[in-house]
Parts: sequence; C-alpha cells; structure tokens
Amino acid sequence: MSEVRVRGRAETGLKFHGETRALRVKMVLLGSSGVGKSSLALRFSKDEFKASAPTVGCAYLTQVVCLHDATLRFEIWDTAGQEKYHSVTPLYYRGAHAALVVYDITKRESFIRAQLWLKELEKQYIPGETEVVLVGNKMDLPDDREVSLQEGRSLAERGGLLFMETSAKSGEQMNELLLTIGSNPEHKIRIMQLLERNRV
Amino acid sequence: MRLFTIFAECNSSYVFSKFARCQCRESQLKLFKSAEDHFLVEIVKREMSQKSERRGIHVDQSELLCKKGCGYYGNAAWQGLCSKCWREEYQRARQKQIQEDWALAEKLQREEEAAYASIQGAQSHSQAQPSLAPFSKFEEKKTNEKTRKVTTVKKFFSPSSRTAPKKESHEGKTPSPSISRQSSIETDRVSRDFVDFLKNLQKPGREIHKQCRLFIEGMANKKDLGADELSECVQDFYQNMSDRLMTHFKGSTERVERVMDQVEKYIMTRLYKNVFCPETTDDEKKDLATQHRIRALHWVNIQMLCVPVDEEIPEVADNVVKAITDIIEMDSKRVPRDKLACITRCSKHIFNAIKITKNEPASADDFLPTLIYIVLKANPPRLQSNIQYITRFCNPSRLMTGEDGYYFTNLCCAVAFIEKLDAQSLNLSVEDFERYMSGQASPRRQEAEAPWPPAGPCGGGGTGTSPCLTQVYQNLDLLAGLGARQERVLEGARTLESDLINWQESVEREVQEILEKFPLEIRPPASASAIDSDNVENDRLPPPLQPQVFAG
Repeated sequence: MSEVRVRGRAETGLKFHGETRALRVKMVLLGSSGVGKSSLALRFSKDEFKASAPTVGCAYLTQVVCLHDATLRFEIWDTAGQEKYHSVTPLYYRGAHAALVVYDITKRESFIRAQLWLKELEKQYIPGETEVVLVGNKMDLPDDREVSLQEGRSLAERGGLLFMETSAKSGEQMNELLLTIGSNPEHKIRIMQLLERNRV
Repeated sequence: MRLFTIFAECNSSYVFSKFARCQCRESQLKLFKSAEDHFLVEIVKREMSQKSERRGIHVDQSELLCKKGCGYYGNAAWQGLCSKCWREEYQRARQKQIQEDWALAEKLQREEEAAYASIQGAQSHSQAQPSLAPFSKFEEKKTNEKTRKVTTVKKFFSPSSRTAPKKESHEGKTPSPSISRQSSIETDRVSRDFVDFLKNLQKPGREIHKQCRLFIEGMANKKDLGADELSECVQDFYQNMSDRLMTHFKGSTERVERVMDQVEKYIMTRLYKNVFCPETTDDEKKDLATQHRIRALHWVNIQMLCVPVDEEIPEVADNVVKAITDIIEMDSKRVPRDKLACITRCSKHIFNAIKITKNEPASADDFLPTLIYIVLKANPPRLQSNIQYITRFCNPSRLMTGEDGYYFTNLCCAVAFIEKLDAQSLNLSVEDFERYMSGQASPRRQEAEAPWPPAGPCGGGGTGTSPCLTQVYQNLDLLAGLGARQERVLEGARTLESDLINWQESVEREVQEILEKFPLEIRPPASASAIDSDNVENDRLPPPLQPQVFAG
C-alpha cells in the first residue's frame, strides 16, 4: 500500500534525464531495546502516511522525503536491541547510508550502550562511508532526564556526528531529523556522493 | 461366481460337483484337463481373458514390456517404455525443443535485423554493433584469464553421492529421468517466458537474449572454478548488463530492474545445477553442521528465547505453521529472488503472529527472536547452501536494500545467532545448557507441563517440542480420553444388559407369582341350554317350518 504511494510521490519528484527516480537511502536504527527505535521508525512513516493501511510490523519501513531538488526514499531498518544479538548486528549496517544510534535520555545505561555502538561502527567502517546520527529519544520526559543535552552534543561533536534530540511520542523534531539527514548541505552532498557511488 | 453360472448352463452336474470343491482356478483347469473336457476349458479360458480385460487384474505379459520391444519392462509413467528407452525418447524430444527454440530466436533476430536495417539503414546498424563488441571481448578475456582450476583431490574422497553426478551434469545423465524431466520442464518454461518477455523489448531484447546465451555457454566451461569466482563472473555479468541497460533506458532504474529480474531468473534457472552448493566449497559440510546444531537445540522453547508469540491462539499457530512451511519451501526454488520471496513471506507470517499475540505492530526486538524460533522449529534443508547461493548470485542491490534484503539480513543474523547460541543467550545456567545439549535432560520433563514425556531413550534425539510431537501428544490425549469414554460406554452397556436380564427375570418371577396366586382354572362350560328353554308355552308354538319341494 505505502509502496504504491511512494512510487506515486517519487514520480512528482526529481527528474533525471527526463526520467523520475527516488534516491534510496538505507538507514539503520541501532540502540538498546526500550529506547524507542521502533516508535521512531513508526513515527517516520506514520507521519507521512496517516491514511495508509495499519502496519503489521515496524521493523522495515519506508518513507519518502521530498527536498526541493531531490527525492529521498528512506528505507528504515530496525534492529533487535537486546544485548544478546549485539554480535550479529554488523550484518544490518553493511551498506547502510545512514545509521541512527538511539539512546533514551532518561536512561544513562542506554547512553553508555550507544557509545559502544558508536565504537563498533567506527571499527567496522571508514569514516564518511556511513552517515552516523546520534539521537537522544524521549525528550518529552524532561523530568526523568539522566543524560543532559550537552553530554549528547559533546559526544557527537567528538566523533563528528550529527546530533539531535527527538520525541517519537509527540513527534517533535521528527521531520527535522530526516530533513537534517537529507538536507544538511555538507552531509547531503556526502550522501549524494555515497548514493552515486553505490548507485543501483 | 460367473463360472458357476456357466456350469449351471452347461448342466454338467458331475464336473460341477467336483469343481465346487476346488478353490483355485489353476486346479480347476487341471481338473478339466484331466477330465479332458475341452469345451469347459475353453469357456473358463475365455472367461479369464474377458475378466482380465475388464478388470485389469491379469495383464498380459506383452503389455508389461517396453513398447520398444527391448525386452525390459515398461512403465505407464514413461508412456509404456522402459527407463532406458524413455530416456532416449525424452532426450530426442528435448533436443528438438531446444532446436526449435533456437530456430525461433534466430528467426526473430533475423526479422528484427531486417526491419531495423530497412528503417535505420546500414549506417546506424553498424553503430549498434560496437556497443556489443566490448562486452563479448570482455567475456573472452575473462575466460582466458581464469585458468582452469584442477579439481581438488577432496572431490574424489568426498562421501557425497548427491553432488557427485553434478560435475557431468548433462541432464540426460542424471540417474532419474523423471526428476530431470521435471527440472528441465521448468527450465524450458522459464526460457519461454524469457523469450516472450524480451519480445516486448524489440531490438535490445534480442541483444539481451544473445548475451545471456553466450554467458551461459561461457559458464558451462567454467564449472571447475571456485564458488567465489563463479559468483564474481555472474556479478560482473549483472553489472555490465545493468550498466548497458542503464544507458539504453536513459537512467530509468525501474525498467532496468525489471529487465534485470528477468535476466537473473533466466540465467540462474539455467546455472542452478552447477552453482548451487558446488563441490569446491564446504557448503555441504556447513549445511550438515547447522542441521546437527539445530537438531541438538530441539529443546529450546518459546520462553527461553523470549518469543512474543502465543501458540495457544489458533490463528497464531496457523501463522507459525505457514512461516515454517515458507522457510522450508525456500530450498525448492531455483532463482535467488524466488528464494528471497519465500523468506519475505515467512517474515510476513511471523509479523502476523506477533501482531495477533501482542495486538500491536511487531518491532525488530520481537521479530528476530521469533525468526530464530521459526528457524529452529523448521530446520530448513540446506540452509547454509541457500544463504550462500543467494549471497553469491543475487543482485547485490536486492540484498543490501529493500524489504527482501532486510528479511534476508535477519535470516543471516538468526543463523549466526544459532551458531553462537550459548547458555547466556537462553537465560539458562551453563550446567542446564550442557545437560540439555547432551540430551541427558529435557526441560519439558522437568517442568512436568507435558502430560506425555518424550518416550524412552529415542525421545531425547527427536524434536521434543516440535509442533508435530505436540500434535501427537494431543492425539494421544484424545485417544486416551476416547478410550476412557468407551470404557464407560461398555460399562453402561454391561449394566444395561444385566438390568435387562434382571428385569426380565423379575417380570417372569412376578408373572409366576401371580400365576401361582391365581391359578388358571378352566371350568367346563355350562351345559348348553336353548335360549327358549324357559319358555312355558313352548309346546303351543307351531312346529317349525319345513322346506318343501314344489314340483313344477
């Protein structure tokens, strides 16, 4: 259902040599379980397709973002956050254009896990191959906050990553997140280059 | 029985009486011969032959033999031919089919070339050729470059009998013609579909067909290459083909993908036999290892993996069964994309199962454990070979991105997890894990939730928690219940019987008592008296009328 819609949207998007085409962006969600990865993924797609058929699963979702000069089709790959599956997760982010490392701002432990994920990503990939975004979720619960905004930001800056705090529940900053990934001039160029290189 | 009626017709009462004592027809015949009753023998013979025609019990020897008359027995499935003649016959038909296909393809090519030449003229025609040339050259180079690998010694010692005939895999040489027929029917169908599909593409379609055919022929010479090199060849071919299509369709990814799907289907259907689980790899060994591993883990249950699926709900159980069927079905497909489709279908069923159980969309946190559970329950045949085959020969863009790719990645993760699975990942103590793995104990038996513990020592090796076994237990339960009910019914019947007997007896007794109490006295009837005996004036009455004869 949403597949059809995505196609429909793509047709009105970017024209390449007189043909339409949406650029595929593979985006992997990483983070311990309970930080709201699935809610984030669901929010990404629901926001755009309110009328679409109810999703049976929210492990794989797609979302089309139209920028003024390009149409990006985000493929969101959710991963299992349980610690026991940590060792198999590298299979997921093989060939990913973007990786969202998510933590829960109300749980310090998830922030520590996020740092582990970042290390893992660094180990596996040459910088610049995959766009990594650090996401602090559940910003709608400021009273229970255990990880400050500053901590998250400095961690991201150290690694040269994008950083954002969001709320999957209220939908705050959600579109901004996708737009940031897609439209930040510097990063967009990199994504475009990546896409060109991995053109399929 | 009919014989008897004949005898009745023959009215030969002497033979009939003797005959009736004989049970076997042969002895009947002997009997007749001894009696030299040729007439009857004739009748019986005729009767027998009629019977065999009508009921097909006795088939004539000549009908069983191969129609070609080679002296061996034939088979109805092989159109009355023996296996050898059938194979020959079939090969001939197949060759003819192939030649016809070729002829058709060539005819199309000629027609299109002629049409093209007449419209575009010779100049543009010659322009079209160079686009073709580099590719063929590339292929040549590739062939020359790859020196033929000497087959490893391992091959000769390999115990595998299944893969042994693959090396010389001309279809006619495979041991069972019926199997090869089935697969080649599929190949033919796919080839036809491919040609049909390419017809719509006009000229490029013809070129694609040519390239694919050249490639397949080229691959036939590279059978001895290692799996990775084979994969490289195929991937290079995909890459070149899609690059060329990209220029042709002016960057329409969608159309290129559509054509590439068809190309992949055609090529992989043809190459499947040679490149699936090749002997140069240890895929088969890995398959066996995984299979043993999964079998050893038969005792893992839903609780240990934290699978959010409740199989008590019939709809969920239904989805679980469907998921298992789909993942098993993967092995029967030849085209990597068809295999991927099986995985996707399986995943969809898993999502449904989780959705019904939890009443909310499943996340990856739920999905992966459930997939692991399904793989453990299904123990899909040749799992590693299939995964390797898909990885090597599927269009890589399908594996890295897209829905199919996502589910495939999950399956790879599930398999990797199963291989590494330890006590910790099942929330068990190391001792328990070891005991379960060695088959010394079964978690089911301890929990005592199973009313039927796996029977005897062989139960340890089986699948303790498989749905089949659960079904068996359920059926046994049901049977036990039925047995008890039957007992009760029998008991009831017995009481009823004794009740009836008692009742009869009591009635009899009662009747007897009454009879004794009131014995039946038959009094002699009172002496008959005329109704008018009391009549006083009887004698005054006139005498009764007497009949009189009137003469006249």
